[in-house]
Amino acid sequence: MEFEKTTPSSRLKSMLNVDFKRLVLSPITYIMAGACLVIPILMLVMTQMMDGMVSVDPQTGMETVMKGFESAFQALSQTTEASKTMDMSITGMCNINMIYFIMAVFVCVFISSEFRSGYAKNLFTNRAKKTEYVVSKTIVCTLTCMAYVLIFFIGILIGGKIAGLPFDLMGASVMQAIMCLITKVALCMVFVPIFIVACVFAKQRTWLSIIMSLCIGMLFFTMIPIISPLDTNILNLIMSIVGGGGIAIGLGAVSNLILKKTNII
Amino acid sequence: MNAIEIRGLNKSFGEKKALSEFNMTVPVGSIYGFIGENGSGKSTTEKIICGLIKHNGGSIKLFDRDYLDDDVKAKIGVLIESPGCFPNMSVWNNLMLQASNLDIKDKKGEVKRVLSLVRMEGSASNKYKNCSLGMKQRVGIAMALLGNPKLLVLDEPINGLDADGMRIMREVLLDLSKSGITILISSHILGELEKIATHYGIIRGGKMLIEMTDSELSKSCRTFIKLKANNQDTKMVLLQKYSEIKVDENDYIRVYDREECENIVTYLYENGILVSEIKEDKISLEEFYIDLMEERVNNGI
Repeated sequence: MEFEKTTPSSRLKSMLNVDFKRLVLSPITYIMAGACLVIPILMLVMTQMMDGMVSVDPQTGMETVMKGFESAFQALSQTTEASKTMDMSITGMCNINMIYFIMAVFVCVFISSEFRSGYAKNLFTNRAKKTEYVVSKTIVCTLTCMAYVLIFFIGILIGGKIAGLPFDLMGASVMQAIMCLITKVALCMVFVPIFIVACVFAKQRTWLSIIMSLCIGMLFFTMIPIISPLDTNILNLIMSIVGGGGIAIGLGAVSNLILKKTNII
Repeated sequence: MNAIEIRGLNKSFGEKKALSEFNMTVPVGSIYGFIGENGSGKSTTEKIICGLIKHNGGSIKLFDRDYLDDDVKAKIGVLIESPGCFPNMSVWNNLMLQASNLDIKDKKGEVKRVLSLVRMEGSASNKYKNCSLGMKQRVGIAMALLGNPKLLVLDEPINGLDADGMRIMREVLLDLSKSGITILISSHILGELEKIATHYGIIRGGKMLIEMTDSELSKSCRTFIKLKANNQDTKMVLLQKYSEIKVDENDYIRVYDREECENIVTYLYENGILVSEIKEDKISLEEFYIDLMEERVNNGI
């Protein structure tokens, strides 16, 4: 009996086709994009509203003055100098770096829904190689998460404008700020494969994949402000791109191995 | 050539053995009725064939090739447990997604074709989660039929279908079989299976008990004479002469001993009993299956 010959590239193409179609048809894509746009706007506007307010600790009587953002770009990142001190204020904690948590939720919901709905049965019945699945998921989720970083940045610009904040680079050059943004975009190549490993391990258990993603991701979240300060240099950028690519390939192989060695359903 | 050839397949879930030295032969173009109790290993076998779970030994060949061959796998249609559809997507989008997965050139045309095959043209825009159980099963079949598969693996496809749905499904499967597609179908509704299957395999405790063709089954099925009479004592009277008498669920008395209808009528007449209805019949697949299972239980197998 004759069978049509399929090639790895044709199979990858069809897998990418499926994933991009799903991306367009899934509500989670738009919910997360909306969150990425709204969160920075709310963050900048609300902290600005609280700027200068004094809160009093009822037990110690100690007064704390709430500090708002000094520049809209603070929500993108701090400069290397400012990063040296552990800033636990709301302006120090609320910035674009929180987007990697949003990414974790997106990737986990996007992938686990395939296992929950049983669609994974169709996918894996018709394709023996798990590599195409992992590669396709990595490409689609990474590109989407990169878009989320850019949407978040647009949110910062809009929020800064609404809050009336200055767009001061705080000593960094425009080129460094652009490299900072590109580095944050490139860091998606580090985080998305981590989340994918958690997803293929947890399969239909979305809750487990999210917990795993956040726990494993937590180990790496702290490196984000160090690698991508507002005054990022070219070395950081190259390191994040090359390192991100390497990690994506390495973790892709891990995901592939998990799928090969475990039952799909 | 065989569409499926399994030899010495083993599968364990922890300590529990799901399949043990399991063999199966499904000829090309056949409708293979795969029968067994709950937990006997039917779904496990089907999942292994589709590459969804790993086995612990044995060989599986599909169309004389390794069962994990990419070219062969691209030509398998599957409906295992439930159709793999996204609940919030429409039936149309779910099918289009699978058409993309199979890299079908004319996706829209193909989706329309399979929807018409399962008589669901009018429900394409419905959200999958809003479909009735029967409609969902039909969507699952439609999905399995995309891209003209050479092998269909269907696990309980007629569960939850109404009488009309079953008839449609029967017609669809028979049409597909005529076009040369091999169908492996497991079901507990043996009456329906009997109407379409050309081959049977009965599994018990992870082992294939028996494999046979439709005609072999027909020969194996015992014949009997069933009758109705106007007397309460008919059974007692018959038991005085014949050894194996049973009353079925429709109150017919069955005589399994080899005997002519005329002789039974005469015998009963001589004992003052008038027979109102009498005919020769054969036990159904369901009865054959139950007899086989009882025999195995009695023999401690």
